[in-house]
Amino acid sequence: MKIAVCVKNAVDETELKVDSGGNPQLRGAPTKMSTFDKNAVEEALRLKAAHQGEVVVVTVGTSEAKKTMKEALAMGSDRGILVSADPMAMDNRRTSELLAAALKKGGPYDMILCSEGSSDMYSGLVPPMLGELLGLPYVGYAKKIDVSGKSAKVERALEDSIDVVEAPLPLVVSVVSEINEPRYPTLIQIMQAGKKPMEELIPETLLPGVAPAMPLVGGMKAQAMTRKRVVFEGPPAETAKKLVDALAAEGVLPR
Amino acid sequence: MSVKIWAFSESPPVANEVASVASAMAGAGGGSFAVVGLDESGPLLTGEEKLVVRADTPLSASPEAAASALAEAAKEANPDVILVGSTRDGKEIAARMAVKLGRPCASEVFGAALEAGKLQGKRNVFAGKLTAEVSLPLPCIVALKVGTNTALPPSSAMASERMVGTVASKTKLLERQEKQKGTVDLRGAKLIVSAGRGIKKKEDLALVRDLAVTLGGAIGCSRPLSADMGWLPEEHHIGLTGITVHPDLYLALGISGQLQHVAGIKDSKVIAAVNTDKSAPIFEASDYGVVGDLYAVIPAMLKELKARQH
Repeated sequence: MKIAVCVKNAVDETELKVDSGGNPQLRGAPTKMSTFDKNAVEEALRLKAAHQGEVVVVTVGTSEAKKTMKEALAMGSDRGILVSADPMAMDNRRTSELLAAALKKGGPYDMILCSEGSSDMYSGLVPPMLGELLGLPYVGYAKKIDVSGKSAKVERALEDSIDVVEAPLPLVVSVVSEINEPRYPTLIQIMQAGKKPMEELIPETLLPGVAPAMPLVGGMKAQAMTRKRVVFEGPPAETAKKLVDALAAEGVLPR
Repeated sequence: MSVKIWAFSESPPVANEVASVASAMAGAGGGSFAVVGLDESGPLLTGEEKLVVRADTPLSASPEAAASALAEAAKEANPDVILVGSTRDGKEIAARMAVKLGRPCASEVFGAALEAGKLQGKRNVFAGKLTAEVSLPLPCIVALKVGTNTALPPSSAMASERMVGTVASKTKLLERQEKQKGTVDLRGAKLIVSAGRGIKKKEDLALVRDLAVTLGGAIGCSRPLSADMGWLPEEHHIGLTGITVHPDLYLALGISGQLQHVAGIKDSKVIAAVNTDKSAPIFEASDYGVVGDLYAVIPAMLKELKARQH
């Protein structure tokens, strides 16, 4: 089975600093592999373990994204493809087009895995756009994937139902984080990851003659914290009473 | 410019929310809006103009088929703005239509309005740490964040029908296991009692249940309890990848308050928290906090609440 897994290097939201005016310091902020992408990589590795084959990591990112690529390789992926471009400087359609072009070039893949959304923007639009652009079947929000022969049975975690869907390979799937528990690479794996092949592609050769795409999202600002932040400490009987009193005064307890 | 807006969601309650945004947008800009549905299954409750899109196979079984049929119908009607509910299937439908129709698209948008010939709105980014401005040129497709809008009153207007013939789906729905409705209605709940990692064993959830029953509230949880422990079904999971709630009171018990969890509770009127760790981020996001062990604080709260009932 030839499996591609799409990952994104994202600013680590827990490390992102905001100044007193509410402006984020995005330049130079620490980055990481987008949280849920680890589940996509894990699922790719499990599929490889069960069906043999190869796992190829594909990303659109700046040189900083090599770190994320290396992490996916350390987890056990075989090789990487980096499309050198900044996903923050384009819309999700263009990111999808670049990924689709890179996947076509190195393909065909039996399965293309993504996470349901990135931990920075969390749009969830790239995976279905990939399916649409590649003309492949797409199944979103998978919590279980069973591949047998040339088709897959997938359980989809939706708001009001669990849908069981059957789709032929090749197939694009996005996964939810409940699907698995991502592994941690060992020290040896981390050291060896740097030796695995990493190919670099540029947008100009993947999509020749295409005008730059502008981002649709901008003007990011921290929301003003409007909570009262009153904290009670002391013996439970006292703090519980203070809390119940405060909530009653707010008028949010049943009468 | 008279703007034409479509309001769609595969989920009838969400469709109602989307219609209310479409109505406000059309009202402010002197435009018109139509509420769009699929098949015969989802009755369109609201909207003076209703359109039902049908094909020779059911569209509600496949977001791919739904997107194909809607895009086909949109080519003819040419709405300037297509509003979709940002549900899991809604995002797929929006993304597919965006590619099919060559339109820009954004998801999880709130506060959407037409300004200076563009669709402007906001969305949460970085797990809700920041809010970003979204600006799309028309024509465009926007998936609206669920649970942020009010519903429109029902209308008895008759729906017109648009038959698009044959649409294909590369996937096949084998089984739809509906989740039990009524047991969990967190989205509309006025009071939510929510549990996190501070709960040590599954049986101890009884304590949380007692408090929820006493307060007449619904039960929610942070991700570890549903996804990792499996102590509560996934539909109780509140947060970025779960559901967004906006109760009058959100009571977080033993929840540390990761950004991803806080992203789902921001619109609550009052947030209160109980946590043993004084430096837990949940206290930053709360109006009232108790530093203490929930195993001692909940019984004390129950005692206090019962004393008041007399």
